[in-house]
Amino acid sequence: MPNEQDLIQRLLKGEQAAYRELVQQYQGAMRAVAIAIVGSASADEVVQDSWLAVVRNLQGFAGRASLKTWLLTITANTAKSRLRKQRRDVSLEDVSGPHGTIDDARFAADGHWGRAPTLWHTDSPEALLNEQALRECLEHTLATLSELQRSVLLLRERQALELPDICNLLDISHSNVRVLLHRARLSVFATLEHFEETGEC
Amino acid sequence: MLKCKGLVALSSDLLDGELTWKQRIAVRAHLAMCVRCRRFIRQLRISQRVIRQLPDQQAPDLEALLKAMQAQQQRGAETDQGNAQK
Repeated sequence: MPNEQDLIQRLLKGEQAAYRELVQQYQGAMRAVAIAIVGSASADEVVQDSWLAVVRNLQGFAGRASLKTWLLTITANTAKSRLRKQRRDVSLEDVSGPHGTIDDARFAADGHWGRAPTLWHTDSPEALLNEQALRECLEHTLATLSELQRSVLLLRERQALELPDICNLLDISHSNVRVLLHRARLSVFATLEHFEETGEC
Repeated sequence: MLKCKGLVALSSDLLDGELTWKQRIAVRAHLAMCVRCRRFIRQLRISQRVIRQLPDQQAPDLEALLKAMQAQQQRGAETDQGNAQK
């Protein structure tokens, strides 16, 4: 990518504005990876250490992977070494958001909708996000998901990582990623639906 | 026959293109005749876009981080210079 090459050249020259751009662009993705592996308590430290490792190793970045993949791999490795082989179990415990999820209770015994999804007042994400109360409500929902669930959701939706990349970074199986992602999406859906129905969080 | 509950269970895989061809056919057939599930999938895609566009929470200590990175970079440059002089 020409923009990426340009950014790397500016970083190598030590241009501070380039570092600022880099951090602003990738900090969110790196945090999501760190939180998924070490939990939020140590995530910021891991991210900081990862950035320092990035600066140390930038000369050696040969562009074999994309810049994003390289940054996230450094983050995952930093986080994993922090764990010192203390492998955290992948918790598939179903933590749904404060507004529940789309579960069995929504369906009749014959498998059809019991309480069907209500029609939202708009199809536009921008219009939905115009409401401060809804933005806060979504932040709240994200905060109540398990750390792993939240990270998988953010890496997939916001960082547009492919499922195999998420599996590799977080050392979790493809089927577990799918389960975590599905549950997180349903919790977000339930929050939006609740907000559309009641106008409050 | 795929029921609404089954369709919801497959909905994330549908969004990610993870369905097998058999599942894809079953999902398409179900959506063709079920207005409620069409609404569910449409709104699930909207909620996906909402998360994509939700403003990012920047780390509060950006300036401190940038300073630490600058210091690291200068240390690196000094080491390189030192090595070159050896």
